[in-house]
Amino acid sequence: MRAYALSRLAQTVLVVFLSLTAVFMMVRLSGDPVLLFMPMDIQAKDVNEFRQRLGFNDPVPVQYARFVAGAVRGDFGESLRYRRDALGLVLERLPATFLLAATSLLLTMCVAVPLGVLSAVHRNTPLDHAGTVVTVLGQATPGFWLGLMLIYVFSVRLRWLPTGGTGGLAHLVMPSIVLAAFFSARIARLTRSAVLDVLGAEYILTARAKGLRETRVIGKHTLRNSAIPIVTLAGLEAGQVLGGAVITETIFAWPGLGRLTVQALLNRDFPIVLAAVFVVSVVYTLINLTVDLLYGWLDPRVRLR
Amino acid sequence: MSAALRRCQLKAWLGIGLTVAVVVAAGAAPWLAPHDPLATDFAASLSPPGSPGHPLGTDQLGRDLLARVLHGARLALFIGVCTVVITAAVGGVLGLVAGFVERWPAALLMRLADVQLSFPFILLAMTINAIVGLGLRNIILSLSAAGWVVYARVVRGEVLSVKQRDFVQAASALGMSRLRLLFRHVLPNVVPSIIVVASLQFSSFIVAEAAISFLGFGVQPPTPAWGSMLSESRDFLYVAWWLAAFPGAALALTALSVNLLGDWLRDTLDPKLRV
Repeated sequence: MRAYALSRLAQTVLVVFLSLTAVFMMVRLSGDPVLLFMPMDIQAKDVNEFRQRLGFNDPVPVQYARFVAGAVRGDFGESLRYRRDALGLVLERLPATFLLAATSLLLTMCVAVPLGVLSAVHRNTPLDHAGTVVTVLGQATPGFWLGLMLIYVFSVRLRWLPTGGTGGLAHLVMPSIVLAAFFSARIARLTRSAVLDVLGAEYILTARAKGLRETRVIGKHTLRNSAIPIVTLAGLEAGQVLGGAVITETIFAWPGLGRLTVQALLNRDFPIVLAAVFVVSVVYTLINLTVDLLYGWLDPRVRLR
Repeated sequence: MSAALRRCQLKAWLGIGLTVAVVVAAGAAPWLAPHDPLATDFAASLSPPGSPGHPLGTDQLGRDLLARVLHGARLALFIGVCTVVITAAVGGVLGLVAGFVERWPAALLMRLADVQLSFPFILLAMTINAIVGLGLRNIILSLSAAGWVVYARVVRGEVLSVKQRDFVQAASALGMSRLRLLFRHVLPNVVPSIIVVASLQFSSFIVAEAAISFLGFGVQPPTPAWGSMLSESRDFLYVAWWLAAFPGAALALTALSVNLLGDWLRDTLDPKLRV
């Protein structure tokens, strides 16, 4: 178990290192970020001075070595726009993104899992058909369009909710619904099929035969055994949630990691982009590690090596 | 006929019908559209849906929304088809080779694929796009660069399992050359998975393209792409809901029809496949 966790952590380091190298290479090969960032009427000697100061005049291998040496110490350089430590700026935004992601995950689990279970238990009834229609539609609806339509209905027309920004609970409602929508559709479909698989098992027949109440058969025997595929998908989708957060945060002006990354890409503020890549890949691999460790708890037959 | 089977067929017909409708609308856009999608008419700017000559209304520059949505379908399907073809070819060949050869370059390749999969797809495509530059060709390239991994993994897995089957072992024992074995026996058994993955990936490529264009990368205005139309519509949400409603509905409808088609293809060709 400990050996497994350690080898996974080593893999995490490798993943993070390779992603950073790939992004660094792409950034350096794509041209000169200095020119894009300078005012149009700047003098050539100022450009040169700026470039010298940021180290863009050195050969690429030297820049790469300096970048790696800095990255190991958590130093990704100074943001070109904010003139502040890039990693610090990214980490500052992380709690907002976590809050959004956690709320939508909670929402997903409260809506999608019961929906999937109900569909499976009442298989081929109007309830199940309605559930299928909802999930198929939910999967096809792009999050940013759903966001715009929610803003139109609840902010513009009804004036119930703010269009964006942060503040109270009201600000959290629409962003978390949008982020949860796509995720929920997939989890609900998977829950339905996982529960159907388990319901056919012989121990369920035994549980019913010995006279257990249906709520207990479903709540205890079925749910626990269908949890593994659901948790797996939830872990795999964690990365897509981070991706979805980029769009959701942009629509609702939510001051999280995603919005910062989009702005940094638009401004070609690459220290921030690299720091964000670092944080996203660390977070994502840690989530997957947690999911793997959860298996052992959910199903004691699973041995991690 | 059982209820489950009937439901499956209903979904299949719905998927095929809607996909055909979207393809026809996109293909015939220049003839179906009442106006040029780029022609401005300031006198008629922001007319609501149902205005004379403009069934879906007009945008802030007086451009006909129906024409723009229809031409957007052309662009979306073009990007989707190009990306799916490129990713299927590149990922399919790499997966085929990685599964068939099983030496260290293949293992290294699959490790790299794992690394790439550990990054959110849309964030990856967006980052590549922002770095290599905007525009139609680059969005196809960045979506492909982000999307080939899924094929490589699925195809490699299939090849590894097909190789163990008796008929392949028998052909190999009879002295069939490895290349011939690959093309005669392994490839035909992998094609169904490639088709299923392609159909399931298609809608995610279209939605990703729209999302990336929405964020300001990707296809740039005034080209009528659904994503950039939705992005522009945000400024007019208080006065012109139709600018946000129709392009998004078209995108959702397209994604829905391709998803239904993909589900049906998976159920008929390869029911065990999880993507």
